[in-house]
Amino acid sequence: MKGKVFAVLVAVSALGLIGSGALAQQKKEIVFWNIQSTEPGLSLIKKEVDRFMAANPDVNVQVVPIQNDAYKTKIKVAMGAGEGPCVFPTWGGGPLYEYVKANQIIDLTPMLNQGNYKNRFLPASFSAITFSNKIYGVPVENVAISVFYYNKELFAKYNLKEPTTIDELTSVAKTLKANGITPFALANKTKWTGSMYFMYLVDRLGGAKAFVAAATRAPGGSFQNPVFVQAGKILQDWVKAGYFNEGFNGLDYDSGQSRALLYSGKAAMELMGNWSSSIIPSENPDFAKKVGIFPFPALRAGAGAQNVVGTVGDNYYSISSTCKYPKEAFEMIKYLIDDQAVAERIEADRIPPVKGVTPKNPDLKNIVKLVSEAPGTQLWYDQYLPPELGEAHKDTVQALMGLTMTPEQAAKVMEDTAKRVYGK
Amino acid sequence: MASVTVSSPAARRRRVNEYAPTAILFLAPTVILLLVFVAWPILESLRLSFTHWTGLGKSQTYVGLSNWARLLQDGVFWQALGNNLVIAGLSIAVQLPVALGLAVLLDRGGRRLRLFKLAYFMPLLVSSVAIGFLFKYIYDPNFGLLNAVLNSVGLKALAKSWLGDPALALYAVLAVICWQFIPFYMLVFQAALAAIPSELHDAATIDGASDNQFFWRITLPMLRGTIRTSAVLSLIGSLRYFDLIYVLTGGGPSGSTELMATYMYKQAFASFNFGYGSTVAVALILMVLVISGLVLLLTRRFQTEV
Repeated sequence: MKGKVFAVLVAVSALGLIGSGALAQQKKEIVFWNIQSTEPGLSLIKKEVDRFMAANPDVNVQVVPIQNDAYKTKIKVAMGAGEGPCVFPTWGGGPLYEYVKANQIIDLTPMLNQGNYKNRFLPASFSAITFSNKIYGVPVENVAISVFYYNKELFAKYNLKEPTTIDELTSVAKTLKANGITPFALANKTKWTGSMYFMYLVDRLGGAKAFVAAATRAPGGSFQNPVFVQAGKILQDWVKAGYFNEGFNGLDYDSGQSRALLYSGKAAMELMGNWSSSIIPSENPDFAKKVGIFPFPALRAGAGAQNVVGTVGDNYYSISSTCKYPKEAFEMIKYLIDDQAVAERIEADRIPPVKGVTPKNPDLKNIVKLVSEAPGTQLWYDQYLPPELGEAHKDTVQALMGLTMTPEQAAKVMEDTAKRVYGK
Repeated sequence: MASVTVSSPAARRRRVNEYAPTAILFLAPTVILLLVFVAWPILESLRLSFTHWTGLGKSQTYVGLSNWARLLQDGVFWQALGNNLVIAGLSIAVQLPVALGLAVLLDRGGRRLRLFKLAYFMPLLVSSVAIGFLFKYIYDPNFGLLNAVLNSVGLKALAKSWLGDPALALYAVLAVICWQFIPFYMLVFQAALAAIPSELHDAATIDGASDNQFFWRITLPMLRGTIRTSAVLSLIGSLRYFDLIYVLTGGGPSGSTELMATYMYKQAFASFNFGYGSTVAVALILMVLVISGLVLLLTRRFQTEV
């Protein structure tokens, strides 16, 4: 009896081995993880990958869409165990640099230079993925900067104009508040949402220099620079004046809790990435008709074109060093952003990070104009900074806005963390 | 153990020899699984707690005790431990009495209350993540059910931003945790109540004991062992708690609901500090061992020989 069972077990496992062995040897296998788990991203990826496979019958691409937050954990575990996918997305910046330092991804510069392929993209799109003059990704998914989305109807009702200076923004907020409308909708459990206000205030007060000097540990650069403290103070003043909805630190952006405020007319504005332009019409077509955008205002009138905060080109696709077919993988990535893909992406209200793109949506046209006129693009802090410091930034801004930390304390935590992370 | 008939040592030895291969065969899968998925990761965490490692690549640098030194001075960790203890204390103080009350009620009601039995049992069947989302919307200060109810019955002053206020968030989450776990302890107590021989009840009734006297003098003492076990289970569960906090607040606002487990996760996965994250993990294990050991020791006299 025992012998029989054992024989069956052996036979079954042998069958399993034969089966998997035979399948693996047929084609070149490329595993492609991405976070385009909702429409239109899902079908965009599928279409381009199918075209690639039709043109390259010897390659089989296994597309694995993963939900955004789950992905961040999953990719870390897989890469840490040396079993990462061949192609995977990142947001560039500090976290990507960790992969570079650990030799987990390959340098794409030679492939990007081949036939001047690189020139197809907006030059700014490479800044987040270039380390020591080597490029480690391909910009594909979107241009995403944050701007104010606002309810035009409410603005008209209270005779308000799009503000061009921070003082005007404050007075718009004051009027709205006096009329029982929350000026800014915010869901800040997510933390990067509140960070957008802070980043813009720092930029407007201290220009691009203040942050870059602190983050690169340049001589004289410090997170205790008065600019950061001042930005924190303004933010706290706004909180104290009730310009943000109640309980924002407990609300979740991903669950739509801030957008619900906007849609219901309880709040008038939200500072948010321009992915909102494709989310709002699908979530609430009626509201989409009365939504407008304006850039984060300047410090003073007549200050000219202003920096924008956001990213040009993420998600970036990188190729892991364990990938057996990097050449084929790069070919596949090219399909994701070739002329046909770009046309389809524009149709889906995306802004592909390539030159000469004209979106059909007027708001997105405005975004393209803002980005092209901006003197500089500041990458989101939590993506620019090394992961630990990025987390400290988000935590301190949440604490600042929750009034549980003073701007001076927040600045000190940032500077202390920076010293520990950089060792200087 | 139903029948113990073999008594001579030689016979026993013979029996052991006879059954040993089978025993090993049946135990092996469990032992191997435990070694691979429990013992080894714990030892590996201990090793990693002395390193600096981003979690990527092969470069693990040994940094001696520096992670541990950092832990001792890390205000967030101690705040998290404090939050864990608050959750543990209040969980035991709220969950066990309520669960016991419900169990006694359902036990006395018998078949008539079957529908309630089912209803009370429901939360245990729902996944933590689903519960998290459900209460995220219930607690929403602007559109949530809770504040809507409070406002409509004229208790506007009590309508708060439950998850957004650092002073309230922990208790708001705790309420959900209680809601989720009371059914479990209710079930445990129901089983224990069913095990109390009905002769005792009959005898007490004949002696003229009231329901109240029966509960305090007979039921409660007979449940001592179960209560102790439940308290320890609740304690350990509270110290390692993770899922609902992660979904509801992510440890915020401003760290007011940060627990040791969520902090460990953040360090290891969000901040790319696998070394320090492992230190937090090992500290968590130590805390669980020490605190539950202490509780077991202090409540030794409640042990029952079942």
